[in-house]
Amino acid sequence: MSAPTETPAAAVKPSPMSSLKRFVAKPSGALSLAALVVFALTGLIGPLFVDKPGGLGTDILQPPSAEHWFGTDDLGQDVLAQVIWGTRISLTVGVAASAIAIVIGTALGLLGAYVKRADTWVTMVTDLMLSLPLLPLMIIVTAMVGPSVTTLTFVIGLFSWPEVTRLIRSNGMVVVAMPYIDGARALGATGWRIVTRDVLPAVVPLIVVSVLLTAAKAVISEAGLSFLGLGDPDSWSWGRIMLNAQRSGVISTAWWQTLFPSLAILLLVLSATVAGVRFNDSRDPRLKDR
Amino acid sequence: MTAPILRVADLTVEFTTGEDTVRAVSDVNLEVYPGRTLAVLGESGSGKSVTAQTVMGLLDTPPGRIVAGSVVFDGTDLLKAKEKVRRQVNGEGVAMVFQDALSALNPVYTVGHQIGELLRVRRGMSRAAARKRAIELMERVRIPAAARRVDDYPHQFSGGMRQRIMIALAVALNPRVLIADEPTTALDVTVQAQIMELLTDLQRENGMGLVLITHDLGVVAEVADDVAVMYAGRIVERGTVQELFASAAHPYTKGLLRSMPRPDREADELWAIPGAPPSLVRLPPGCAFQPRCDVAVELCSVQRPELTAVAAGRSSACHRREEVFHGRA
Repeated sequence: MSAPTETPAAAVKPSPMSSLKRFVAKPSGALSLAALVVFALTGLIGPLFVDKPGGLGTDILQPPSAEHWFGTDDLGQDVLAQVIWGTRISLTVGVAASAIAIVIGTALGLLGAYVKRADTWVTMVTDLMLSLPLLPLMIIVTAMVGPSVTTLTFVIGLFSWPEVTRLIRSNGMVVVAMPYIDGARALGATGWRIVTRDVLPAVVPLIVVSVLLTAAKAVISEAGLSFLGLGDPDSWSWGRIMLNAQRSGVISTAWWQTLFPSLAILLLVLSATVAGVRFNDSRDPRLKDR
Repeated sequence: MTAPILRVADLTVEFTTGEDTVRAVSDVNLEVYPGRTLAVLGESGSGKSVTAQTVMGLLDTPPGRIVAGSVVFDGTDLLKAKEKVRRQVNGEGVAMVFQDALSALNPVYTVGHQIGELLRVRRGMSRAAARKRAIELMERVRIPAAARRVDDYPHQFSGGMRQRIMIALAVALNPRVLIADEPTTALDVTVQAQIMELLTDLQRENGMGLVLITHDLGVVAEVADDVAVMYAGRIVERGTVQELFASAAHPYTKGLLRSMPRPDREADELWAIPGAPPSLVRLPPGCAFQPRCDVAVELCSVQRPELTAVAAGRSSACHRREEVFHGRA
């Protein structure tokens, strides 16, 4: 009984590095992560190299050329500069709105999963929110509060949490039913401790995935609202570039003015979604070829 | 005998499933004395685990509902106690060892963290002190190389070692009553014996009351002092282990003892109680055991027998308890 036993080799803790390595081992992981990094860098430091688009230029409605890679709009402003400055706002709104949605969604999801009495209410409110027509509602609220980056962030964030709640609640319920939760209760752990120390860590991977997916959706919502004229008139966003093209009546002729911001949206949403899926797969021990 | 440290009185628990109401536990009375081992013996669905869950406050309500009864620990009725008192009792007053230790330990924390967290929260120990105490506890439950294994995760331990970790967690706060819900069912036979020995050793050291929930007659014979036999949610027979094994006073207990494989008995086939346990949704009228009973009389299908004394410290819920007890039936 007292003979020392060898610790199995598998006892080595998985380092954060090895999970990142596994994530990028597949092209889908490496490419999506690279695209997200490029977007983040563009938003962070891009505006340092490009002047904020404004004023009137002489080259109006130029198609893409060596001088203006993404062409120019009807005021002679460089579309590339607009896209770069727009990246900053679109990403900011996307990340901040997603953060709001994740915090509210996770809190309510965990509440519903652990507290049986609250669950009925959480489920009802979530279902109600999910059944509302979101776009018209966002338009009304934004128009009433007055368009600004802050308004957009809050409106999008406050309307995006129900899906997170639903995801966290359903997976939290699986964890709550595990015998080790009963074990913790048998040792006298408080509900708060069980939720934060036992249930929350078990759903963190899902939170990571939903951060990415919610942010992607928030970027689309932001672009949509900006395109409808509910964006911040003082700052550039991808939606506003397209709104300008539409307003000046060149949307069908100056294709570059809508193509490039649309491509940016498409690429960002696609890479965020792919990264989310890849993250999920890379952590799934049941997949052999992960 | 001293006063019981834990007393379950007239406990009745129901479950609502759809339109049916199932009475999983009916009028159960149990007393746990310090330093003594009470075995609650019964097959699956007899209500023994629900009783344990109710005592620990783990019963999900709904679907469960405590219809009547009390669980008095050290003068406090736990069923009426405030949440805070209840939590205080859990772990320090009454602790529980679960059947499946792998799923009863959180897979994402090391065992040292889990034992240490309990000590930090409940005893206000520092991180270093809690870790040191965790290693001591692991040594106390005889885990080899405890100092090295304290940073391992539950899945890195074998079944028996995991059950030892569970026991270390359960006794970490020196509880006065330890409830072990089929602690050895998931283990192989040699390990079972070691775990039972560990539990009885700890009991002797701490003077804890031990409640052993089991369906294993061998384990009962080995370690129990008192036995309560449960059938279809009710206690059908009680007594000390020697007396009960010597002369059962209920046909169900008799059947259980008869169906136990024994090397000193030469039989080609194992004997089994005919029939199957009744559905708790549709219990037969009268005695729940009557359809399977070989000594049943007419009265048995009409009137339910109450748990009544047959001798000092012995009681049985059978209309023919005297005859069964004295071996005349």
